[in-house]
Amino acid sequence: MAQGTGAIVARPRPPGLPPVVRRVVGGLAMPLGSVLFAFVVGGLIVAATGGNPFSAYAGLICGGFGIGCTQGENPALQISNTIVFLTPLIATGIAVALPFRAGLFNIGAEGQLLAGSMACTAIGIKFNTLPTPILLPMVLIGGMVAGALWAGVAGVLKATVGAHEVVTTIMMNYVAQWLLRYLIIGGPLQLASGTSKSQPIGPGARLATLLPSDNSLIVFGLPASVYRVHTGLFIAIAAAAVFAFLLWRTTLGYQIRAVGQSQRAARYAGVSVRRTIIVTMLIAGAFSGLAGAVQIAGVDHNLTDKYFSDTTGFDAIAVALLGLGSAVGIVLASLLFGALHAGGSVMQSDAGISSNLVLVLQALILFSIAANFLGAMRSLIPGLRRPPGAPPPENPAAALMTEAAAPPPEGTPIK
Amino acid sequence: MTALTDILHLLVTANLWQATLAAAVLLLLPALGGVISERSGVVNIAMEGMMLTGAFFGVVADLAWHNPWLATGVAILAGGLMALLHGVVSIRFRADQIVSGIAINIFAAGMTVFLVNRIYGIQDVGHANQNELLPNFNVPGLDQIPFLGQVLFQQNIVVYAALILLVAVHIVLFRTRLGLRIRAVGEHPQAADTAGINVYLIRYGAVVTSGLLSGLAGAFLAIGVSNTFVPNMTDGRGYIALAAMIFGKWTPFGAFVACMIFGLGQAIYDNNSIIHVSPYLLSMLPYILTLVVLAGLVGRSNPPAADGIPYVAGSE
Repeated sequence: MAQGTGAIVARPRPPGLPPVVRRVVGGLAMPLGSVLFAFVVGGLIVAATGGNPFSAYAGLICGGFGIGCTQGENPALQISNTIVFLTPLIATGIAVALPFRAGLFNIGAEGQLLAGSMACTAIGIKFNTLPTPILLPMVLIGGMVAGALWAGVAGVLKATVGAHEVVTTIMMNYVAQWLLRYLIIGGPLQLASGTSKSQPIGPGARLATLLPSDNSLIVFGLPASVYRVHTGLFIAIAAAAVFAFLLWRTTLGYQIRAVGQSQRAARYAGVSVRRTIIVTMLIAGAFSGLAGAVQIAGVDHNLTDKYFSDTTGFDAIAVALLGLGSAVGIVLASLLFGALHAGGSVMQSDAGISSNLVLVLQALILFSIAANFLGAMRSLIPGLRRPPGAPPPENPAAALMTEAAAPPPEGTPIK
Repeated sequence: MTALTDILHLLVTANLWQATLAAAVLLLLPALGGVISERSGVVNIAMEGMMLTGAFFGVVADLAWHNPWLATGVAILAGGLMALLHGVVSIRFRADQIVSGIAINIFAAGMTVFLVNRIYGIQDVGHANQNELLPNFNVPGLDQIPFLGQVLFQQNIVVYAALILLVAVHIVLFRTRLGLRIRAVGEHPQAADTAGINVYLIRYGAVVTSGLLSGLAGAFLAIGVSNTFVPNMTDGRGYIALAAMIFGKWTPFGAFVACMIFGLGQAIYDNNSIIHVSPYLLSMLPYILTLVVLAGLVGRSNPPAADGIPYVAGSE
């Protein structure tokens, strides 16, 4: 028996495994490997600076998933926090992943999110007496339109004068940041002079929390009102489904993928590249704007200086890459990053390790995906080296970004 | 328009232009780095992270050794090491250079605060004494020239260094063999390789140089303009430098002009007490101006041909 198993393992491709399983295993290797790489290097960094990586990661796991808590944290509350963090990551992750498919690199998800939250807040304040059935759709759609316009600037500039979307979206990020500061410090949305927050949006503009905000109702040992998890989660999941449908089941999705594969080929096939670029950016911006609007409508109910240092739109880049640009992958990657964010504060209080380790881990994941460290390490281990003649390992990040964003290396790599 | 007259009054003061030049230099150093890196074909949006790293290690070294010169050296090296990381990932591993740049920026933001906690145990790093900062230097005689003397010759030592570096980078890029090689590698690496130029070496050198310059800017920020480190203290300056580089069409003097325009905005912002327009709206101007330039309203701005494309020896 043992002998037989060994023989199967030694073979490069076990014939018994169905292709679907092989594809799933192959697809998961890169993201899981990148996460593992990041945690190992991050642990070394913690150890090198005199910390205990195991207690640090125990804190992260407790804070993210409510498992193995030692300091009396409430597991249900931790999970609720993770869900609150992951909700905006899904839609912003889509806002990065969709343009990837068209060969565009949207690093402006942050600015688009802020545009969405500003529009949502402005509408929610202006029409604060309207009832929910009218006002809630207004603020969400308003946020989507604002986000779409924010990204549309980059799309139009790319399609008409060829301005690189990376640069234009960075610029639009900062325009949004300063506009936000203006609006809530001395500008029209400011609550009162001396404060750096806006007035609250009307009650009709708010998304319901999953649990009633009732202090007398005890759920998992805590009053129901402390759980901030809200119905925006379902909007985010629906957004992921819409994204998958749009990409794989519609003509537009086909056009987006065609433009991403080869602009020239798409043009010969009758696809308007310019139109597709603009439409892709508009839709991406709408997803980001939705995330911003949901964040206001579901969690914060007003703009605060907290939004000055918001990084959701940058986390979204890691989410999109780690999720391999697929809807399911984005949801799973959002779960990971949501848990990391929720876990960071517990790690800081329990293990005394700065929650900024989460940013370090995120950067390491990005490095690992972008540079395909996993593939490089495989080629160093003799047993795993690809047989001569096999196709060269494909850089997974490069596979998502073609032509416009990252022209793939031509020819066969020669050492 | 009172706001307009306020700004006009401000524009004729030497103080404003003195502050403008100092603010411009903070942007010019990383912008020069960006010009060198991108001219060699490596996209660099990581000046922000390299500058932040330089600022952090500059403060750490200054607080430990009480010597601003040594601390500046450490800051420059730290910026260079971050750039080397960007170089290894994007040249050796042929990673997407934009993703690598974003990763550098996130890494720097997280790592610096993480280390503040590990080293000092708290959020507050402490302050360097006045005599442990990079000094101001008045050029004897020249600083007495009316108006111009204050603007040009009563500045921090780094400002003079940056202006010399500006001329030096221009000469190296456009008047020397090395500069020709850097530009050749950025425009057509295959041809450069055929001509016997070591593409990888040039690119590594250019990227690391961009880090050294950004590290110097970080030192100027942390132990020149300021006297301590606070999380994310670069506050987007690396990205404005990126904008200046594009605004200046990937040339040193073009970038300098852009930095002066952006620096002027910063100086007006800092003197906002006497003007009546929101400083936050003014702060948008650099970014909107860059978008206008990119839109082609002020002439086209095109990157080097091979910018962002990893080079594979032997490819066509």
